[in-house]
Amino acid sequence: QSLFKMGSLFRSEEMCLAQLYLQSEAAFACVSELGELGLAQFRDLNPDVNAFQRKFVNEVRRCDDMERKLRFLEKEVKKDNLAIDDTDIITSKTDYRESFRVRTTEETVGLYNIYRERGKTHIQESLTASAQYNLVVYNISFIIFVAGVLMRDKISAFERVIWRACRGNVFLRYTEIEAELEDPHTGDKVNKYVFIVFFQGDQLKSRIKKICTGFRATLYPCPETPQERREIALGVMTRIEDLQTVLNQTADHRRMVLSQVALNIRVWLIKVRKIKAIYHTLNLFNKCLIAECWCPVVDIDRIQLALRRGTELSGSSVPSIMQQMQTKENPPTYNQTDKFTSGFQAIIDAFGVSNYREVNPAPFTIITFPFLFAVMFGDMGHGLLMFLFALYLVLKENRYMKHKPEDEIFKMMFDGRYLILLMGLFSIYTGFLYNECFSRSINIFGTSWNVRAMNFTLKNQHLTLDPNKPGVFRGYPYFYGIDPIWQSAENKITVQNSYKMKNAVLMGFAQMIFGLSLAFCNRRHFKDKLTLYCELLPQLLFLCALIGYLCMCILYKWSVWTVAQSNTAPSLLIGLIDMYMLTDPKSNNRVPLYTGQYQVQIFLVIVTVLCVPWMFLSKPYILYKRSKQKKGVPGGLDSQSDDDVAILHHENNDANYGKQEPESFDMSEVIIYQAIHTIEFCLSCISHTASYLRLWALSLAHSELSEVLWSMVMHTGLATSGTSGAILSFFVFWFFSSLTVSILLVMEGLSAFLHAIRLHWVEFQSKFYKGEGYIFSPFSFTLIVEGKV
Amino acid sequence: LNFVFFIYFAVNTSGFLEGLVRGFKNGLSKEDYRHLTQCDTLEDLKLHLQGTGYGHFLANEPSPLTVSVIDEKLREKLVIEFEYIRNHAYKDLATFLDFIKYSYMIDNIILLITGTLHQRQLSELLPKCHPLGIFDQMETVTIASTTADLYNAILVDSPLAPFFKECISEEDLNEMNIEIIRNTLYKAYLEAFYDWCQQKGGATADVMCEILAFEADRRSIIITINSFGTELTKEDRAKLYPRRGKLYPDGLLELSKADEYEAVKRVSELYAEYKPLFDGTGNNPGDKTLEDKFFEHEVTLNVNSFMQQFQYGVFYSYVKLKEQECRNIIWIAECIAQRHRAKIDSYIPIM
Repeated sequence: QSLFKMGSLFRSEEMCLAQLYLQSEAAFACVSELGELGLAQFRDLNPDVNAFQRKFVNEVRRCDDMERKLRFLEKEVKKDNLAIDDTDIITSKTDYRESFRVRTTEETVGLYNIYRERGKTHIQESLTASAQYNLVVYNISFIIFVAGVLMRDKISAFERVIWRACRGNVFLRYTEIEAELEDPHTGDKVNKYVFIVFFQGDQLKSRIKKICTGFRATLYPCPETPQERREIALGVMTRIEDLQTVLNQTADHRRMVLSQVALNIRVWLIKVRKIKAIYHTLNLFNKCLIAECWCPVVDIDRIQLALRRGTELSGSSVPSIMQQMQTKENPPTYNQTDKFTSGFQAIIDAFGVSNYREVNPAPFTIITFPFLFAVMFGDMGHGLLMFLFALYLVLKENRYMKHKPEDEIFKMMFDGRYLILLMGLFSIYTGFLYNECFSRSINIFGTSWNVRAMNFTLKNQHLTLDPNKPGVFRGYPYFYGIDPIWQSAENKITVQNSYKMKNAVLMGFAQMIFGLSLAFCNRRHFKDKLTLYCELLPQLLFLCALIGYLCMCILYKWSVWTVAQSNTAPSLLIGLIDMYMLTDPKSNNRVPLYTGQYQVQIFLVIVTVLCVPWMFLSKPYILYKRSKQKKGVPGGLDSQSDDDVAILHHENNDANYGKQEPESFDMSEVIIYQAIHTIEFCLSCISHTASYLRLWALSLAHSELSEVLWSMVMHTGLATSGTSGAILSFFVFWFFSSLTVSILLVMEGLSAFLHAIRLHWVEFQSKFYKGEGYIFSPFSFTLIVEGKV
Repeated sequence: LNFVFFIYFAVNTSGFLEGLVRGFKNGLSKEDYRHLTQCDTLEDLKLHLQGTGYGHFLANEPSPLTVSVIDEKLREKLVIEFEYIRNHAYKDLATFLDFIKYSYMIDNIILLITGTLHQRQLSELLPKCHPLGIFDQMETVTIASTTADLYNAILVDSPLAPFFKECISEEDLNEMNIEIIRNTLYKAYLEAFYDWCQQKGGATADVMCEILAFEADRRSIIITINSFGTELTKEDRAKLYPRRGKLYPDGLLELSKADEYEAVKRVSELYAEYKPLFDGTGNNPGDKTLEDKFFEHEVTLNVNSFMQQFQYGVFYSYVKLKEQECRNIIWIAECIAQRHRAKIDSYIPIM
């Protein structure tokens, strides 16, 4: 099983186009089974038909309506702060239609209750208000007055308008109602004022009443004598009490219904969504319920099984038939991923979905990506922090999987948790090689340099490691990684630069050659011998002769030339320039790297130069020859073969993918295409190699930045002695650690990440990857329920 | 230097909002309209609108749908978008956006006064008011019986007060009066808006003055045409013309003398912009009305406003275009609801 998985990661799944003949009574159940399976991508067989002219549009509409009702219920449930039951998300595949009916009835009950309850709140609100104002009104005497209740935010405008409209002949008093009242329509809490307006005359009365209605104040009649008022107040109180009991009862009942709803609402919603998806899919089928779908070849059995199960469930006697079809169309790309590989596949897919059955770079990216990242981010300490962060995400993944994180940035990091985990691990490894931990070195195996021999005294603190001086270098290297003594050496950067730079070129060359060998796999798989010999082979030669030779020189110089000869050692850069100027190193009085260098170089230059016309001309020439030959044989035999299978196709579909074969051969187009690609490849050999130098540059930047942070921040704390030093160190540590996280981990990490992405997308993948496919998006309930479709 | 100004605009003023508005503008395509006109029922219309930028704005409405529900929801959507922008705007842009609102306020006031004159209930009138033009004191306009009353008691606190100066009188409100008030208000409003834009200068002035000048001229022409056969005297009529359009001053002078449709047409034909609008209009079936032609021209101007960046015109145009689009949808919806398919295609296309 695992071997098979690996294979499927290397190339996308083999796909086939299949035709399904569904019985009308079994179609629903069959599609539902296929949705549970999630392995078939249906094609739209009536693309010209509007959404509302399709067959099952009424069913879709009913589902929409049901969804609306459920949303309403959900809102009510949320308003009551009832916990919605999320646990039983994975629903059984029971009969949909029955639950449909049950739901409808139950839900109407819910609606009824809710509305009734609202009606009650309305009464309640008005009564509380009037009770309140009765209290206010007790000690007020008597001209004519109007009293009422008004929203808080309108009171000042109200006051002004009343004053102006009555030309100041009124007296307005108002006071706030302390209790918050509930708006009967929306159920929100609102603040209101009780007011009373005193005035004289009937004209003013009608005018004030109009203003009151204008401001939507509720007016209440208020008798003049305190006696009557008291009576009314008492009456209102009892009525309020009565209503309160009724209200409580309805509220209880409503709560009961809603808690029932809360238990089931998720399941209902999911079911409705599934049913809607099924009808949407059925809408893609043609009139006689014949469907076409892409599916992986290995899973055909499972699909057929699902169809049989669907047919049995629906009780149909006639089986549904599945039949494979021949097609010239490009199948979708389907890479099976699991939680570990999906992050890496996402990086590849973000650049472009691979062509069908093309080599998928994702499996290699799993190692190369974190490695190249770590080359730029080499620091044990930072790597460890990153690793721990990712480890936390990985360990808590079950919890986060269940409750999807809302925050987009966090979600992104969560999706890439395994990527970050590996990035952290590799950073620890490269940090160990660089011997850097928060920019400090660790002396584990004992340095192999002798400081005493370097005339290093307390006065002369400049430490320059010069292996040429006798007795300084002990003769054997540090056991693993970089010697910790370089930490305090003056010439650390010079040495490390040369070393890291060359390393970057070596790694770049290795990855590019690997890319070309993957292109080789592609050509072999697609049996494209022409490109293999006329394009790939010269490319390989070109790259090896140009950059490969440089790498050889680097390795040779490292292994053969010794420290003692360092003054006379030839420069590789000048050597490379000389090589292409065709100058003999001896003629310029330069020391050759090795004997016979000139002859070898001349040979390589000739190879390089020959490769260019080979790349450029051979393929167009052969294509030209072939097209001439083809013209001799009229009418290809290919177009015949697929006619007998595609019986039930629409004509326009047939035209789309039946007869693409007779392509007209345009010589100029081929030549231009080839010229562009040749030029691009030749130039990119240089520029891509140079581009890999970012490995060195970023690594340098990272180590320098962490060095600066240490010496400018942490060092000042540690260098102060005494109690003040301890206190200072405490505060400085927080400063240091927050800067470490924000700048070195997050910012530097992001930049190294981006550069690693670039190296993969451009430098690596340009060698073999087309990325012009389209992704396989199966009809799957799991995706629909998770809201990914 | 321009560059510096652009950055200033983008950072300091309304770069974010402008981007937002350009996103909101994204309306229905020709294809969408074609599909909409093919719908058989309002449910179909809803289904199709779900696939466009309008999204699920009708998703929570129970069936059966009515045109008024669609209208209400369309308005609500526009208002939500507009209020969002208004809440994020400050300084000049806030003033500008308020100017846009004023025209709706004027409409609302006039609607309420006319309604009360016809003894309609306030509760019946309120839903008809445009939600963009709602303000606190609005609902109390019904108490006023004269314009002086209206101003002193109610409008003096509202932002419309400065536009009201010219029409204060002790006369009782009647039908004729109201029309005059409406047009005087509009005139004052347009002039103030125009002057504000001019004073703002730059691209905003270029774009907005063009649009507002057209608006002013359109009003002048329509006032003239509608005045034929009414008691309005020519002198009074001349007072109603907004004096900021391209017709000002000569054209307005000529217009004020006109007493038949042909005369108006003759005046307008002197102006290159308006000549094509009068050509080809008529009352025969199949012909476009003058009003439609005006709408089309307005749409063109508003679409052009989106061609320029870093100016406020886009906000105005966005509101107007959205409104036009809503009108189109409602037109189509009405045609569908009343099964009156013959005229379904006479909406105003927005390029």
